[in-house]
Amino acid sequence: MTTDSSERATAQPGRRRFVSAMAAALGGGGAFFGPWAHTRVWAQSASAKPLVIGLTMDASGQYAASGGEERLGAMMAIKEFNDKGGVLGRPVEAIHMDTETTPATGSRVAERMINRNEAAFLIGAVHSGVANAISQVAQKYGCIFLNTNSSSPTESGKDCHRTKFVWDGNGSNFAQATVRNAIRAAGKDWVLLTNDYVWGHNTSKATRAILEANGGKVVEEMLVPQNTRDFSAYLLKLQQLKPQAVATAIGGDDIKALRQQVVQLGLHKRAAWINNQQDWPDVYGLGPEQIFGVFGTTWYYRLDLPGVKEFVAAYQKQFPGMAIAVPGNVFHNGYMATRELLRCVQEAGTTNNLAVIRKLEGRRMSARDRMQHHDAWIDPATHQCQQTIYMASYNDAPAEKTDIFKILTQSDPKEVVDGDAPKACKLETFEATPSYER
Amino acid sequence: MNLLPHLFNGLTLGLLFALVALGFMLIVGVMETINLAHGSLFALGMYAALAVIAPRFGADWPLMQAWLALPLGTRYAVALFLAPVLVGLFGLLLELCLRRTYGRDPLYGLLLTFGAALVIEEGIRLVWGSTEKQLPLPEALSGAMLVGDLIYSRYRLFACLFALAAILALWLFLEKTPYGAIIKAGAHDSEMVRALGINLGRLRAGVFALGVALAALAGIVVAPIWGIRPQVGVDAVVPAFLVIVLGGVGSLWGAVVAGLMVGMVVGLSGAFASEWSMLSMYLLFIAVITFRARGLFGRKSVLDT
Repeated sequence: MTTDSSERATAQPGRRRFVSAMAAALGGGGAFFGPWAHTRVWAQSASAKPLVIGLTMDASGQYAASGGEERLGAMMAIKEFNDKGGVLGRPVEAIHMDTETTPATGSRVAERMINRNEAAFLIGAVHSGVANAISQVAQKYGCIFLNTNSSSPTESGKDCHRTKFVWDGNGSNFAQATVRNAIRAAGKDWVLLTNDYVWGHNTSKATRAILEANGGKVVEEMLVPQNTRDFSAYLLKLQQLKPQAVATAIGGDDIKALRQQVVQLGLHKRAAWINNQQDWPDVYGLGPEQIFGVFGTTWYYRLDLPGVKEFVAAYQKQFPGMAIAVPGNVFHNGYMATRELLRCVQEAGTTNNLAVIRKLEGRRMSARDRMQHHDAWIDPATHQCQQTIYMASYNDAPAEKTDIFKILTQSDPKEVVDGDAPKACKLETFEATPSYER
Repeated sequence: MNLLPHLFNGLTLGLLFALVALGFMLIVGVMETINLAHGSLFALGMYAALAVIAPRFGADWPLMQAWLALPLGTRYAVALFLAPVLVGLFGLLLELCLRRTYGRDPLYGLLLTFGAALVIEEGIRLVWGSTEKQLPLPEALSGAMLVGDLIYSRYRLFACLFALAAILALWLFLEKTPYGAIIKAGAHDSEMVRALGINLGRLRAGVFALGVALAALAGIVVAPIWGIRPQVGVDAVVPAFLVIVLGGVGSLWGAVVAGLMVGMVVGLSGAFASEWSMLSMYLLFIAVITFRARGLFGRKSVLDT
């Protein structure tokens, strides 16, 4: 192939030859200055070897927008550490590969980052199927994986792993924070609209359990395949069923399309809508009417708490001119997870996975430090970060254009603990987890 | 449960699927090029309409102020015409690149249009950003209306009537004008068309631009239903491909019938077996292709005899 190209280049007129020569020179230069530069630095000083963090985040598919936001969160935390001299005297280097909102790609990316890029840790996931796929690979090698934003209850339940830490609230936490209030406000006959994959199924399962335990009834559950763009058939059926409330476990680009179509039919005024969890990138840019119903979240950029304004200013300073002008819950989770991991590495004095896991398990984080209303902690039995859960709706008196949420309630993590997770989660023992250090 | 609303919904869905596939059908039928950039051009149409209706630049220019002072309905109507023309002109540029692939392995055209799709999508991200956008709609097309005891979206009704009009206009163009006759002849036997003294290069460029403009038009019509985001084209290109193969490559009425069948299957399965709604179109595809490998209206090649 190379020979063929070279031969053709010599036979071509001057301009083409020049372009080919430039391409070859650039390619050759890349090969020379690329990996060699790193190797040379490592050879000169082992302590300066970068600490490589693999960012396994979606840049395409249903969760591309959220994948981009959590990536910014991780990058901001990494920059803060690098500005202070890195971690354990080593600069932190982030590499990113698109996991494409596809579990098979997640596995492949994780394998590659661990084996070829020598990633010390993996961070990032929005789609629970992708998170599960990455975590299986990570556990096989012992590499710590932070599931930043995927919130199927199974992630800290039956699919938990010793090397996996889950940073978002899960479907059960959100359902507990929202369902009881909604039954009181809206009524007992509910329809569930469920994204047909692991997060949707398990989130709706949690909603159904709480609903039925409180005297409510699921009139119908409709499974919505991922990447559905036309919801008309579902919405027609909803009209015929006439439920008092509709609980959605729909995420990413799907919820954006659904919201627009619900408004076109005026159905947002004919039933109460409860969206289990509303990620900021999935609602940012929608019109006021389309942000209907109540929904759960873990953070909002206008919480009246110390540090929030500075955090927002830091985001805007580091990422000026971003389409999403202010950070949301997805960014917050990406940032917090990365920062806490790097703190633990620093405290452990090593990148050894078992030492870092011990630092993370049971770790307590103050409300002030995380800019939330209640202290948070990492449950040592499930590896899920237990944090404040907020219930919100559209803000009809916004202080600025981006001020679209009105926080209605805030739940102490103790009140919304997923009680089923510890029963389902069987963490591998430390002995059964390979020792891993980069 | 009342079946009638779901049959009606399936019909409207089908017309939209057919509209999405029209441009794809034209380019494959005449040029035998699978235009993988169809989806990105569909998305570009959405953004071009957005730029025409509510331009972001030059808001203080007197001409722009006069334009923005016009009623939304007028600007929307202009966008429906102007945005496809603009994207069609862009299509002419793309066709210039495509020329080098004519007469070569079809893989070259496939790779080029795939590359173009990526470039267009990233270009959209650079210019308009990656967050969700909305196409402003005139008041008359917004909101819901009552059809019997059924609430239906006014816009969806408009969209399916518009799709029907676009299909009929294309049919009239292909069947009743000399240009249409040349295009059809080109699809049947391009060498013979060239032998008759017709400029084949210009014909291909024109067809490609028309196909691209139709993709853009479909994007504008579908935008208020699917939403506007850079990657929305991926959602269009797969059903478009499926519809034209199902209908028979190059057949206008094949694409329309296939679109209606897909719409009906997706609409009914969405209502009665929701988890199958996405899969149902592929099952239909497999069922038809198993018995009619050339699709419903695909012509048999002389090589098959």
